[in-house]
Amino acid sequence: MRANYDDEMPLVTIVMRTYERPVMLARALTSVQKQTFTDWSVVIVNNGGVPSRVDDVVTVARLASPSSDIHVLHLDDRVGMEEASNIALQASSSEYFVIHDDDDTWKPAFLERTVAAMSTHHDAAAIVTGVTKIHELSRGKTLRPQASEDFYLTQERLTFDGMLGNNTFPPIAALFRRSLLNTVGMFDATLPVLGDWEFNLRAITAGPFVFVPERLANYHIRTPDSDVATGNSITVGRDRHRETKVLLHERWMSESTPDGTNKGEAAKSAHEEFERQEAQTLVAHQPVRRSFVVRQGVRVLRVLRHPSAGIRGAVRRLRRVTGR
Amino acid sequence: MWRSAQELLDQHKHIELLTLDFFDTLVTRNVAQPTHVFAEVERRLTQDHGPRWRGYGLQRVRAEQRARAAALEDDKYRDVTHVEVLTELALGMKLSLTETEVARVAECVAEVDAAQAVPFGSELFDEARLRGIALLVVSDNYMPATQLVEMAHRAGFTSLLQSEVMVSCEHGGLKHNGRLWREVLDITGVTPRKILHVGDDVAADVTQPSRLGIATYRDPRMRVTHRNMENTSPDVLPLSRIEATLRDETYVSGWDSAHSIGAGALAVLVAAQLHDVHMVLAQRPVTGVYFAARDGWLAHQVWSQTFAHTTDTPGHYLAFSRSVFGRANLAVVDDAVALRFVDQHERITVRQLGERFGCTLETSLALDTIVDAATAREIVLQNEQQILDASGKLRERVMGYLDTVGMLSPGHHVVVDAGWTGATVADLAELVSGATQGRATIEGRFLGLYWDATTHRTRLAMHGLAMDDLGALDDNVRLLGVIRLWETLMTAPHGSVIDFAHAHQGFVPVFADTPAEVSQHDTLVGAMCTAAIESAVAMVNGTHRSGVALADITGGAAWAAMMQVGHTPRRDELAVLSRLRHVASVDHKDGGTSIVADAPRRSSTLPRERFGETYDATIKRHWMQGSLRAWARQRDATQFVQEMYGIWPFMNERWVEERNDY
Repeated sequence: MRANYDDEMPLVTIVMRTYERPVMLARALTSVQKQTFTDWSVVIVNNGGVPSRVDDVVTVARLASPSSDIHVLHLDDRVGMEEASNIALQASSSEYFVIHDDDDTWKPAFLERTVAAMSTHHDAAAIVTGVTKIHELSRGKTLRPQASEDFYLTQERLTFDGMLGNNTFPPIAALFRRSLLNTVGMFDATLPVLGDWEFNLRAITAGPFVFVPERLANYHIRTPDSDVATGNSITVGRDRHRETKVLLHERWMSESTPDGTNKGEAAKSAHEEFERQEAQTLVAHQPVRRSFVVRQGVRVLRVLRHPSAGIRGAVRRLRRVTGR
Repeated sequence: MWRSAQELLDQHKHIELLTLDFFDTLVTRNVAQPTHVFAEVERRLTQDHGPRWRGYGLQRVRAEQRARAAALEDDKYRDVTHVEVLTELALGMKLSLTETEVARVAECVAEVDAAQAVPFGSELFDEARLRGIALLVVSDNYMPATQLVEMAHRAGFTSLLQSEVMVSCEHGGLKHNGRLWREVLDITGVTPRKILHVGDDVAADVTQPSRLGIATYRDPRMRVTHRNMENTSPDVLPLSRIEATLRDETYVSGWDSAHSIGAGALAVLVAAQLHDVHMVLAQRPVTGVYFAARDGWLAHQVWSQTFAHTTDTPGHYLAFSRSVFGRANLAVVDDAVALRFVDQHERITVRQLGERFGCTLETSLALDTIVDAATAREIVLQNEQQILDASGKLRERVMGYLDTVGMLSPGHHVVVDAGWTGATVADLAELVSGATQGRATIEGRFLGLYWDATTHRTRLAMHGLAMDDLGALDDNVRLLGVIRLWETLMTAPHGSVIDFAHAHQGFVPVFADTPAEVSQHDTLVGAMCTAAIESAVAMVNGTHRSGVALADITGGAAWAAMMQVGHTPRRDELAVLSRLRHVASVDHKDGGTSIVADAPRRSSTLPRERFGETYDATIKRHWMQGSLRAWARQRDATQFVQEMYGIWPFMNERWVEERNDY
């Protein structure tokens, strides 16, 4: 972008797609402005939303950090997420790029670490960092984080085989080398969702994805009781994800994987394997329930330690039984 | 109360051997607690070799714990060695052999650099040499005698010989379990009653040697600054060095907790505000800097003594409060406004409710009738017009005041505030922007921003120095837990601003001085603030006795200071801070509430389903961490607090986060 406006090309272009979420956009911009690495340019694609809402946020953000290189593209009509990314990428130039969704955030060292990793892994197509998943409640203008958890991601999940079964990381976690667009093409604008996954599977054929385990990206998920308008595409549009996945499986039936097998078949079986692994992971993370004997033992010890609590507990149980 | 070396040795004239503990008796470090040396090592390693070494401090503490556990399984009497600790460290951080050696050398060098003599230890050492009494240093430590001798030499004990040092890791037993003491008797051949031992630890330096008949004397003065050892990262160093200096300076007069909080953590926070402003002024043109009442009062005092003489940008003290600016900026009276002005569980008189809005509210109820929150909000909604009229008049006075302090001049104005959501500064920004058609802009510089700040980022350019709403979830909650404490300490000698006078009186601010706050300022807080100003001025001028300068006070250092006292207060700090009361800024009338909450009655039998209520009430109205730490020391509530930690683990004592990417 800077090449189109200024003389110097930034090292990183940050593509930020947004639609009518000014509070989230303000937060996302702040997270970019707090980066310890500063040779970046943000291209905000206002995907058909009211222009003044985005402009107001950008005005405030520029006041907070006047040196910030922020550009806005207002689209008259709403287009798909991937098309919005392509528009921003075509309007900019840089060595690397990131797709930064307006609801996600970074830790301040994200760009510093990923750019450093790029410079030591000359063949890498992308650098992907560890991710923290943040569950947040969005009501009106307020965003309130409720819980956070580690997003399961390993180097194995960043190989072609590892990614074939499912989308293994959110866009916010990855810094891409722009030159790979010349090799594998742009994002597929025909896909309503999962465009990042489809792109990743093409991108990895151009070079490896290198994993930086430090959790530097925050993937924000709205809780089910949040306002629907602010929901994530993956939680609000589960059906659409499923349909698109089926569509992609069908499309890949006529394509081959790097080792020559049918990409569609491989993706289907990889998907089944992925689901099985996920189920196992869920079981493994279930809290271990104490055995009946241990539970009763603990209860007896607690009664001995706090007799009055024991009596109250017994009364409560009796009331439950008698219904009074 | 402490004896001099002469007095002590006169009292024990018969002794042939004086044994001395090493750390904190003969030699101490220039940091507040031993593990902070590892923080210094991390700082050096990161600076010299890159981010690979981030988290070293905490990993080093952990490695020693693991090494000790393993040694216990092997032989329950022996101490670990430095090599064993480093081996565990290498496993934990996935260090190569070369990296491990780099860490070992860095640690040894840092230990020597940090070494300084303990005054009483120094006196004893010299007096014993003068009297010809044999000396022996007896230490429980993983470092070899050679390392301790090198540190002693750096600290000025140049005549100490290696043969005069016995270290647990070289003798198969500890002072703590008595084995090393038997070794001392065997090797020296001196009978116990001819030995005097001086140390700082009850078990190792008093109980165990006494069992063998050795006379003992304990002097724990160097321990006054110790806290939870796991909170070790380079960010703790500025406060750690200041506290170590205060420890040394009060060695004779005695530790003053209130003074140390003022000259330590409070001063760091004030200096952080100044550092932040300084950075902004260096980056862009600023028309005026405004230190917002009341928590900007301290910073304004420091500004007046320092930057005011070196910069052309004017610095003002801005009379400012949530209630006045919130009230002056009302465009509608809806549920959100009612919620903002009437707290969820509040019970309030109709008169008080009217005073909050600066008007008389029309209702069938008598003015002194106490109503619950729901009724109060209903009354608010029914009186929209009266409230908006009062708001409009107040807005005129507020604008008059802002004009007198220059805030309506075209340009960029920076408002310095402690925090915590930015709502009031956002109201101010809107007022100023509206009145000047955008020619005057406001930027908020805060110490800490809690996650509710996110909403205001669309209205106001803001920056949280020590913490912001983009930080980790756990840190956001930790910040919420300490807000009451820092609001109470970062304050001015006057009450909250509740109004502004009319035009003919020059729009001067009207303050509400509540007796509770005045009394607390006179008896405790005022002295802490004075100490904070003096210490912060020295930091800005680069003359602080600890060597800490303004450049050291980063956002991380400010956060660490906030947490060192706010999250892990020492017992003595808790005793002082428990005396503080917080007066709600909305009414400014009551006697306030103690910032340390009372433990729930019969907490040991409180059913789990009611833990949430206790948590909510404490974190919203009190100093959460202070309350938990205080309860943990009450026998009845200990178990309850442990269960609270189980449910809300981020409230546990550790606040330095562990890295998981080695």
